[in-house]
Amino acid sequence: MNIRWYHFALWAAFMAVMFALPEFVSRGTLRTVIFANFLAIFAISWDVLSGRTGYISFGHPFLIGIGAYTTAILTKRFDVAIEASIPIAVIVTMIAGFIVFLPALRIKGSYFALVTLAFMELMYQLVQVIRPDLTGGTRGISGIQGITRGAVNGYYLSLTLLLVVAVTVWLVMRTRVGTALSAIGMNEESVRGSGLDTTKLKLFAFLFSALIAGLGGAFYAHYVGAIAPRALFDINFLFTIIVAALIGGAATTAGPIIGAFFLTFLLEYLRPYLPGAERYFIYGGVALLLYMYQPKGIIALLETMKDRIIRRSST
Amino acid sequence: MSSPLVISNLRKTFGGLVATNDVSFSVAQGESLALIGPNGAGKTTIFSQIMGELRQTAGTITLFGNEISKLSTPARIREGVSRTYQVPRPFGEMTVAENIRVGLMPDNIWHMITRSGNADRELELALSVGFSEDDLKRTPSELSMGDLRKLEMARTMATGPRVMLLDEVFAGLTVGEIAQIAALIQQMRKDGMTFLIVSHDLKALEPLVDRAIAIEQGTHIAEGPFAQVMADDAVRASYLGAA
Ligand SMILES: Nc1ncnc2c1ncn2[C@@H]1O[C@H](COP(=O)(O)OP(=O)(O)OP(=O)(O)O)[C@@H](O)[C@H]1O
Ligand SMILES: [Mg+2]
Repeated sequence: MNIRWYHFALWAAFMAVMFALPEFVSRGTLRTVIFANFLAIFAISWDVLSGRTGYISFGHPFLIGIGAYTTAILTKRFDVAIEASIPIAVIVTMIAGFIVFLPALRIKGSYFALVTLAFMELMYQLVQVIRPDLTGGTRGISGIQGITRGAVNGYYLSLTLLLVVAVTVWLVMRTRVGTALSAIGMNEESVRGSGLDTTKLKLFAFLFSALIAGLGGAFYAHYVGAIAPRALFDINFLFTIIVAALIGGAATTAGPIIGAFFLTFLLEYLRPYLPGAERYFIYGGVALLLYMYQPKGIIALLETMKDRIIRRSST
Repeated sequence: MSSPLVISNLRKTFGGLVATNDVSFSVAQGESLALIGPNGAGKTTIFSQIMGELRQTAGTITLFGNEISKLSTPARIREGVSRTYQVPRPFGEMTVAENIRVGLMPDNIWHMITRSGNADRELELALSVGFSEDDLKRTPSELSMGDLRKLEMARTMATGPRVMLLDEVFAGLTVGEIAQIAALIQQMRKDGMTFLIVSHDLKALEPLVDRAIAIEQGTHIAEGPFAQVMADDAVRASYLGAA
């Protein structure tokens, strides 16, 4: 993909709007946007592995959970400074992911998804029974030290994190490694037949994905201040991440961000009408319809619209 | 200098089926060898074992004096052997240029990220198999069978092989496209490339090879100059039997 002027223009416009946002919207809306920022980070993380290589992970909450729990335990139980606990949480996430996912990367197709799902479930059980004095058992950990005070600062922190993650992923995926990872998603045998060690590539995608998940999870724990196994290792949370990436546009960087915002606001607007889990049916339906209409996601719809506008203005 | 490719007592069984039955042969430096046999004779299975996509039941494969029979596919490609597939396997949502790019990539993630690709070489490879510069932006869904085979050739050449295995490069091609690919193979022979070629199009194959080897039901049945192998009773019987 070539860089065009409008790529820069779009990113600049997006950043300008995002940085000015607290001036225009209520604190409540701002808190919703913060959640969207975190969801976008998680969706990007999922996409780096699954959207590109086609190895569908059902275990991302497991990675995010390890990042969140590690920093929460370190700061709350051992008085470790946040500056140290977050990098440690990221490394622990990558190592834990490496140990449990590595064997899974040799498995193809739906088995990979099932194995990762099993790890999420296992984590959900383990967190409750092993060392509840550290993990807080079923109730989880609350009173986790915050990094910022107030919605505005929380917003800027989450936004900065999202931008750093998005730009880094965008830059890396623009290189040949991005092409190679997408090639694995299209035909892994041919990638090997082109002389590339796909295990190494998948491992790279996986560790990059785990790094982002651990980072996002750790910052998220410090933002919300309380984590519990029921909420983290949750199937709804998992599907929200996957659906955000898919309906936004998998294997792109902007797609998961767009999808995360779309979903967060869809869920938020449905809340007054459907307070319970029924909301998830509605978004499931919306996601399915969108997906049937354009499997490449909202970003592909926007591309078509852009092409139409350009064509119309040039005639 | 040791022989580019030596196959010794290669054997492959699928359950009770013997797909490769103690086959031995070698290809000399700069030689072009035809591998012929009826449908299901085991030609593709031999290619897959040379590339390590299938693991042999017994026997060894040696490339330029190094035994490669236990190496991974990418490691074998680094040693200098590469193949085309009978059924082209392009990366469906990538352009022609990107497909070739994957073949050109170093097997080193750090270099993939930090060093840029060689667009000139992509174009050069595309042109050499008969694409035009405009074709670089096309995707496989817009390509004819002939174009897909050309792309398969270009991606295989991109890996920098010293020995090339071509599996049914002429199937589904027009007469013009066959002539184009044949001319490319002749040019590469002049430049010293070593070939092992499988084709059912015996007329197109004959001028491209120095020698032929025939197999039937996984078993080596004849070897020698092309015309002599084609005149061999066992070979004639095997083709008649298949027809
Ligand atoms: N993975 C496999 N599992 C079981 N049997 C296989 C497998 N691959 C090939 N075979 C069998 O091995 C035999 C040789 O097949 P192969 O594809 O090598 O033949 P071929 O000479 O390339 O035929 P064609 O000219 O049709 O391409 C066939 O009987 C085939 O059915
Ligand atoms: Mg075959």
